Amino acid sequence: MSASVYRRRETKNVVAQILASSAALLALVFLAWILWVTVSRGVHAIGVPLFTRITAYADQGGLANAMVGSLIMDLMAIALCAPVGVLAGAHLAEYARGTRLGETIRFLNDILLSAPSIVLGLFVYVIFVLPMTALTNGTTTFSALAGSIALALIGLPVIVRTTDEMLQLVPSTLREAALSLGIPQWKLTVQVLMRAAGSGILTGVLLALARLAGETAPLLFTAFGNNYMTYSPLAKMASVPAAIYQYTNDPNPAMHAIAWAGALLITLFVLALSLLARALFSRKKTSHD
Amino acid sequence: MPTAIAIETICRRNAADALHDKLFRGVLRVCALLVLAALLGAALSTLWGGREVLFGDGWHFLTSAQWNPVENRYGAWAPIYGTLVTSCIAILIAVPLSFGIALFLTEIAPLWLRTPVATAIELLAAIPSIIYGMWGLFVFVPFMANHIDPLLDSSLGRLPLVGALFRGPPLGLGLLTAGIVLAIMIVPFISSVMREVFQTVPARLKESAYALGSTTWEVVWDIILPYTRQAVIGGIFLGLGRALGETMAVTFVLGNAYDFSTSLLMPGTSISSSIANEFNEAVGLHRSALIALGFLLFVVTFVVLLIARWMLRSLKRKEGNA
Amino acid sequence: MTDLAAVAAPIAPVDTTRNKIAVRDLDFHYHDFHAVRKIRMDIPERRVTAIIGPSGCGKSTLLRVFNRIYSIYPKQRAEGDVLLDGENILDPGYSLNRLRSQVGMVFQKPVPFPMTIYENVAYGIRHHEVLSRARMDERVEQALRAAALWDEVKDKLKRSALGLSGGQQQRLCIARGIALRPQVLLLDEPTSALDPIATGRIEQLIEELKKDYTIVIVTHNMQQAARVSDFTAFMYMGELIEFGDTEKIFTKPDKQQTEDYITGRFG
Repeated sequence: MSASVYRRRETKNVVAQILASSAALLALVFLAWILWVTVSRGVHAIGVPLFTRITAYADQGGLANAMVGSLIMDLMAIALCAPVGVLAGAHLAEYARGTRLGETIRFLNDILLSAPSIVLGLFVYVIFVLPMTALTNGTTTFSALAGSIALALIGLPVIVRTTDEMLQLVPSTLREAALSLGIPQWKLTVQVLMRAAGSGILTGVLLALARLAGETAPLLFTAFGNNYMTYSPLAKMASVPAAIYQYTNDPNPAMHAIAWAGALLITLFVLALSLLARALFSRKKTSHD
Repeated sequence: MPTAIAIETICRRNAADALHDKLFRGVLRVCALLVLAALLGAALSTLWGGREVLFGDGWHFLTSAQWNPVENRYGAWAPIYGTLVTSCIAILIAVPLSFGIALFLTEIAPLWLRTPVATAIELLAAIPSIIYGMWGLFVFVPFMANHIDPLLDSSLGRLPLVGALFRGPPLGLGLLTAGIVLAIMIVPFISSVMREVFQTVPARLKESAYALGSTTWEVVWDIILPYTRQAVIGGIFLGLGRALGETMAVTFVLGNAYDFSTSLLMPGTSISSSIANEFNEAVGLHRSALIALGFLLFVVTFVVLLIARWMLRSLKRKEGNA
Repeated sequence: MTDLAAVAAPIAPVDTTRNKIAVRDLDFHYHDFHAVRKIRMDIPERRVTAIIGPSGCGKSTLLRVFNRIYSIYPKQRAEGDVLLDGENILDPGYSLNRLRSQVGMVFQKPVPFPMTIYENVAYGIRHHEVLSRARMDERVEQALRAAALWDEVKDKLKRSALGLSGGQQQRLCIARGIALRPQVLLLDEPTSALDPIATGRIEQLIEELKKDYTIVIVTHNMQQAARVSDFTAFMYMGELIEFGDTEKIFTKPDKQQTEDYITGRFG
């Protein structure tokens, strides 16, 4: 092999490696940049008023009602999508393994996982907000319940997929052992398999919560927003992401500061949940076999 | 001594078990079918909500560039154009970047560095999109306006033909900025698929290439990439599907303008940002037009994601993230 | 191969006990693979019957027919008769609950349920019988004693079974099986995942249990078959080659193939 060919190949290789490493570095730079901006701008506005005052006070206010609203709607969403998602996942893993219907649902669930969240918001608007408006002659329009349904649609595919996968990881001998004692399949599924896959299923629920807690788009035309504290599921309800959206669009810099504080809170919440889910999942993996 | 259980007890229990099993199975099946219902419902409800425009204007709705709430005339071409252009920019930037990251994480980085870097990059996917939007608006837009836009205008902007794409005032806002923000958002999705498929290449294949004296780059380009082509394309489509449907990150940085401009440095709009910006003020036909836009977006992303998942179907599925 | 099947006629062991299970012309298919062919054998009551043979010979498959556990997999099917006390368990009318309360099974790897030690044993009982707390405690204790585990776990019944050692877990699985008071106990290579000491304890236990139960054990370990069983069946490529007194099988088998396998000349 001639030396020049060799040198050219080697140069190309070195250049490629440098570029690839720079790509990774660039992604890390953006991560650091975004996180740094969020933290540095967010901490300034974090204080007692942020947690005690409602958004009605505008730049003199806080995000108390938005936090409460987010908490209520996120929990309602999880309460809606967790049972359905876990049972649907159990169907895929335990009853529909290898069937065409099962494969189709699994495939479409993966699509729902990446579907545009704003369309899911429109979906809930058309099937829930509009009929509610018509039924109540306009006294109830946008509502926390509508917002929760939209968020639940975002969490659902995450839970379905994780539950399906975690149940498939449970060794089939456990199923055989229970069935050989005469335990019926529903008991086996609920009392043995779901318990065996418990931490994995919980991981899915946490991931779903992390995913839906940061969502803004589907809330805009379902829960809408509210400058006051509300607790009723049938009332318009504030949420941190929607408040951030509203404040960011405001020309007043004092409002931006509050938006950054909200952004920091929500980022911390979401990242903490993701990392927790990750830790739980890796523990699950090591404890298994 | 062991005594058998009375046979009639067993038979009664058998019948009860069978009934419970059947009920349980039914409930599970209904839950699983809800996933189908959600997708189908999203398609049908937006089709229904946008029927006045979709069936009233037909193809004209797609091709007309006029979006005028005052005259109540709606054409979707500007948002469609904005969505396509920003997504294309995002893909053009994100694909080489993701490829580099996957290459770094599977072949170049020392072992101890791989997991932490991979986790950090996947965290990019966990950051809520509204945070990208705020960062984009308050930090990245000024950065583009002060540094990148003037640079592009005075360099690429001078070129014949393609120059038109890069000429314009340093607004910061615009299609290019939105495309870049989208690129950062979809990099973790594409790179994690690429990384995962690169790891599925059998070691003996790589080893035999290295044994022939191939460099790392040659192994990746000549062995790994051809071997994983289908899944890599699937990963790119997955990223494209995300980019098309993303709302919050682009809404702030796109500028929300329906005027047409060849320049990427000029403001534009996209399907999702039009919906987000205008929906709550829209009534009547305007609202219908926005829902119709939602229908279009859903159909397009559905097809793109269908292709993506189809190409990725051979890939072993991971935790519920990607 | 075909005339081998003809020669492998049912061989009733020379023993005075009555037969618990009678297998008549049993065939088994995995999808389109004919895994077990025309088996005829009688399994005597309250004795240990070992099934040996090279891997893939169908010995586990045969065992899995005895409690119809194979039926949870859609593409597996058995044809022929398996009579338990004269009733055909392959008859779809034979209640699965009844079958499984009469025939217990222990698997290769210990598979405790993700519950407490106590619950692991009580779980199966609770499904079949309604017992008072005290009666349940009694039953759990009996089962654990019978499985020679009581002394080791009596102070930690409320702890998770997943914390037990492999050998303890396997004895817990045996306790779980016998807690239902079955008549037959199927052991599918019960010690293949255990160390020699734990294996020794299980073998001792089998010796104890055969006073009350009819035991069928599948093992790839010939010494184990020789140590624990009264009768041994040798299977090869889905067929029953020879079945008889363990001592006879291991000292002067009738068939050349059996001898070849036992002396390690193939496998």
